[in-house]
Amino acid sequence: MATILQSAVGSEALIHLHGLTREYASRAGAVRALDHISLTIERGEWVAVMGPSGSGKSTLVNILGCLDQPTSGSVRIAGTNVHQLSRQELDRFRSETIGFIFQQFHLIPYLTALENILLAQYFHSMTDEEEARRALASVGLGDRATHLPSQLSGGEQQRVCIARALINQPPILLADEPTGNLDATNQEIVQEHLRTLHRAGHTIVMVTHDPEMALLADRIVDLHHGRIAAERRAGVTPQK
Amino acid sequence: MKRARFSLGYIVRRSLVHRRVRSLAALLALTVSAAVATTLLTLYVSLNRQLHQQFRAFGANILLTAPNGSTLPPETLATVRAIAGPESRIVPFAYAVAQTTTGAPIVVAGTDFTAARTMDSWWQVSRWPDAAATTTTVGSPVAAMVGTRAQNFLHSDDFSLTYNGRTLTLHTAATLHTGAAEDSRILISLAAFTAWTGQGASTLEVQASGSAAQVEALLHRLRAALPGVQVHAVRQLVESEGRIVDRTRSLMLSSLVLIALTVGICVLATLTASVLERRRDFAIMKALGSTQHQVALLFLLEAALLALAGAAAGYLLGSLCAFGIGAWNFHATIPPLWQAAPAVLLLNLMVALLAAGLPMRILRTMEPAMLLRGE
Repeated sequence: MATILQSAVGSEALIHLHGLTREYASRAGAVRALDHISLTIERGEWVAVMGPSGSGKSTLVNILGCLDQPTSGSVRIAGTNVHQLSRQELDRFRSETIGFIFQQFHLIPYLTALENILLAQYFHSMTDEEEARRALASVGLGDRATHLPSQLSGGEQQRVCIARALINQPPILLADEPTGNLDATNQEIVQEHLRTLHRAGHTIVMVTHDPEMALLADRIVDLHHGRIAAERRAGVTPQK
Repeated sequence: MKRARFSLGYIVRRSLVHRRVRSLAALLALTVSAAVATTLLTLYVSLNRQLHQQFRAFGANILLTAPNGSTLPPETLATVRAIAGPESRIVPFAYAVAQTTTGAPIVVAGTDFTAARTMDSWWQVSRWPDAAATTTTVGSPVAAMVGTRAQNFLHSDDFSLTYNGRTLTLHTAATLHTGAAEDSRILISLAAFTAWTGQGASTLEVQASGSAAQVEALLHRLRAALPGVQVHAVRQLVESEGRIVDRTRSLMLSSLVLIALTVGICVLATLTASVLERRRDFAIMKALGSTQHQVALLFLLEAALLALAGAAAGYLLGSLCAFGIGAWNFHATIPPLWQAAPAVLLLNLMVALLAAGLPMRILRTMEPAMLLRGE
């Protein structure tokens, strides 16, 4: 793993996608979720991916997170062509490099907030309860450590999800509609956490439907029918 | 740094406790499968013994008779007992044709009532004469068991019979109904018979336990040890017993396999569903960087724990069922079969690991993204 990360050091972009295509088989024939996408994301950059439902946003994030495989094209993350990694190397790469923030939170229902964070540590290396408690406290949930996900509000669950995503200090954070299921107050809390992470130097790729949320990013990528329809700096009118 | 007490075992325990309804359903399925396997295995193993015991109720399966109306040598009974073993039952019979006061001939048999009662338990006897009543005391009539057809020749409970000019006074102590030749006879104790007629036993009825082959081997040994005695097998009984035991065992074995398969498939379906419904957990763990082995171990450990608990509970339940069936059907005690415990545990483990392993193989081939989408 050390060699994988070492190769990332240098001037190369952190994420480099080239000719990325993802097709799914269906009864009606092959459905192309991504169609020859090429994209480069720099270290420390915050990129918002926008687009209508079915445009391929989540597919893109899943491929970036090594949770899905492209049908063709290459994905280069931190200098590593993830296509060339074995399953075991991919598992290791994922736990070292990527943190996930899901719209549906995806916490393990039978583990407490603290244990959900410990789980990420457990699969990464070894558990450190003090560090996990600090992570929970950093998202304002120090007093909710022993609560099960079902005993937490949606906003609180998302904050546990953020703490879990950060516990192993991955260089890349992938957020799929991180505020999609939250009320205005919790949206603001999560936005603030993401701003802090960005300031701390994390690279964030965020899928969102929310134009206000997208404005927090450095760059906005608009997807349409699996293709990049437009790219712009946040706050700038889209250019085709 | 404070290492948390967090391990696969801990995660499994939390999962089992949190999903208690599902866990209990899986545990119940595995308990039932273990109980069925234990019951069938216990019954199958004890079937031979139970069936042979049942066949003993049909009476003798070997007859030893003295040639040409003579009596058996006095040491015959001891010799047969030594060869046939303590499990076998032996009843001596002596026969004489006596006359009633009206001159009607009637067959009188001398026997050991205690031994006859054990072997011929199917005889319908109004009241078996006790051992004390079967011995002759001076001046008192001898206790007799009178067959229902023989009663027609007698006119009161106390009656006299004459044999070779010697008269014996008898008292009807019990009546006998067998539907066979004994109904036309009067049975008295062998001691009283010998004292009256001067003759010993001419026939020994033997109820030997064991398979048809074992009975056949016993016949050969008896013939070799008693050359002057005619030794016959009650063929119908020996062969029928062999056939019935063989067929029952085959039937039992087929049932065992069929029931085990049916229960196994049900358990497989229950556990497979339990694993598949947690495919999202599988995908989350993958997203968090777990290896295939770690997740597989988690699911397999859970299945193995349930199998272990199910096997223990099922073994106890199955042994209890076998005991109940033995008491109800065979009126016999079927003790727990200790040898079944490892077999049942192994069977349960195999079913549980297969049930967890199959969906794991399916999940391994799917990308976590698809599972997170709920596919």
